[in-house]
Amino acid sequence: MEILWFGALALLVVGYFALEGFDLGVGLLLPVTADRDRAIGAIGPFVLANEVWLIAAAGVLFGAFPACEFALSANYTAVVLLLVSWVVRDAGLWFRRRLVTRAFWEWLIALGSLGVCLAWGLLLAGLAGFSFPFGLLYGLLIAALFVMHGRRFLDWRLTGGGTLLVTGGLAAVPALVPLVGMAGGVIGNAAPSATLTVLTFMVLPFVPVMAGAQIWVWRAFGKGPVPAYF
Amino acid sequence: MDVLDLARLQFAVTGSLHFLFVVLTLGLAPLVAIMHTRYARTGTTLDERMTRFWGQIYVTNYALGIVTGIVMEFQFGLSWSGLTHYAGDVFGAPLAMETLIAFFLESTFLGLWIFGWHRLPKWLHVATIWLVTLTAYASAFWIMVANSFLQHPAGAVRDGDVLRLDDFGALLTNPSLSMALPHVLSAGLTVGGFVVMGASAYHLFRKTPDQELFSRSLRMGIWTSFIGTMMVVGFGFAQFGPVTSVQPGKFADRPLAAFGLGFMIMLGHLLQLVALLLVVVVKWAPRWRFLHPLILLVTPLPFAAAILGWIAREEGRQPWMIWERLKVADALTPGLTEAQITLSFAGFVGVLTLLAVADYLLISRIIRRGPDQIALGEKPAPAPALTF
Repeated sequence: MEILWFGALALLVVGYFALEGFDLGVGLLLPVTADRDRAIGAIGPFVLANEVWLIAAAGVLFGAFPACEFALSANYTAVVLLLVSWVVRDAGLWFRRRLVTRAFWEWLIALGSLGVCLAWGLLLAGLAGFSFPFGLLYGLLIAALFVMHGRRFLDWRLTGGGTLLVTGGLAAVPALVPLVGMAGGVIGNAAPSATLTVLTFMVLPFVPVMAGAQIWVWRAFGKGPVPAYF
Repeated sequence: MDVLDLARLQFAVTGSLHFLFVVLTLGLAPLVAIMHTRYARTGTTLDERMTRFWGQIYVTNYALGIVTGIVMEFQFGLSWSGLTHYAGDVFGAPLAMETLIAFFLESTFLGLWIFGWHRLPKWLHVATIWLVTLTAYASAFWIMVANSFLQHPAGAVRDGDVLRLDDFGALLTNPSLSMALPHVLSAGLTVGGFVVMGASAYHLFRKTPDQELFSRSLRMGIWTSFIGTMMVVGFGFAQFGPVTSVQPGKFADRPLAAFGLGFMIMLGHLLQLVALLLVVVVKWAPRWRFLHPLILLVTPLPFAAAILGWIAREEGRQPWMIWERLKVADALTPGLTEAQITLSFAGFVGVLTLLAVADYLLISRIIRRGPDQIALGEKPAPAPALTF
């Protein structure tokens, strides 16, 4: 059961990197993107469905591996940077067409996306005991992979053709490596089986609904005209 | 202020900001779902404009609900790891359930609803807003389960120096939960009803072109706030029994809690009276112009009552994080430094406050401009090819 829940945690984190990776990549690309309306329009319908993977991962961490939660407070600055950057990026998307000027929020989307990437580098490096400069470098690597993935996504969505699987897989590697490294430690710190049983019993019936909703998003918004809400 | 005070204030401010947006989400979601259903049935322009106008307000409000919620959730890990250490095996379960089977779905379905205009089949599109409503209520349920555990740690046993889950059913039938959950949900209806009334009153008073749309909205707001206030007051008083039995002295011994409670009850009765009087004259209210400024005047009050309610509930829990089990001071992350908490305080409180103000400015602008300029559900324009 511990392994099952670690699998869920890993899937959610890796899924977050593979999915939110292209949103953040497109955000990073904004300063050099000519038609920002279309680029943001392309990721628009996916952002809400992608970013919740991380919130769900945090939920699994709290529910199934509460003893591992110290990982957050042990990397305090990185987590604060992650959250503030995430909030700023989201605000940029919601407000871009509506308050101040578009350029102002577009810069904030790019900055926020960069902040999220750097924070992930710092957080993952911190978990593995690496130094701050290494964390920054790791963050830049993540940003580079996300940019690649974002670019591929725009091509796929706006001109059509090709696959997202390769760049998506690459974007997930920076999360996958530390997850594999930490698997033993995390699994050993799972909540007692009474808690895990309840969680499994409650959540399992909803897994098809969650998967179905995500697939629905891709089927509905993978093709066709680019919506203009964000 | 020391580290503990700052950590508490940070949670109180982000929590209050979060709830200001959440309470309107809870109230508006079913109203927008009803409007959208009506539009799907009639297909009239009036119903379409009404759905998109209130839907735009709903979505704009929801944006801040998400970002404040993200910060709330992670604060447990950042500032309050003592809580997780002591009771994570129990307290973590409802939080996990909230993220997985409520919020994950709510956010995904909301994306489908926002971007699904002119894209999804009509009735499936309607289904997404009902699913958003359902999952928003599910979210409220799990959060209230978690919160009620802090008020009264039902379903858990002490095992050495930690709490273990013993009886999941007891967690869900917590006496701190059963009356508080409908109280919170009807507070949402009250807020939603008053906001719909207030915005409609503004347009009716200014005699803007959409008199029919806002007459109908005003009546819907009046009925909603009537149902909401009746239930919120009823379930409020119904809580005194269980609260006195599991948290004796909660309000009597804690001045700030008593203050919150007293003013909340006062506002609750006032709003109930307003809603009751309005429901009597609901037929004529859209035409009675003298009423409209008065309605606008009371629109902010249910928000104030909601925050006062949380002050009563959470201040009344002090100094306990988990009632008579774990003190707030002992729940603080060990070794949390003043520099860290100051940094996160400035980041979270600063950024979220600015964004909350910006969002309210935006909502009031959407209301002022009326149903003519609504981005939600606009027909997409044909777009040129992308160039880098």
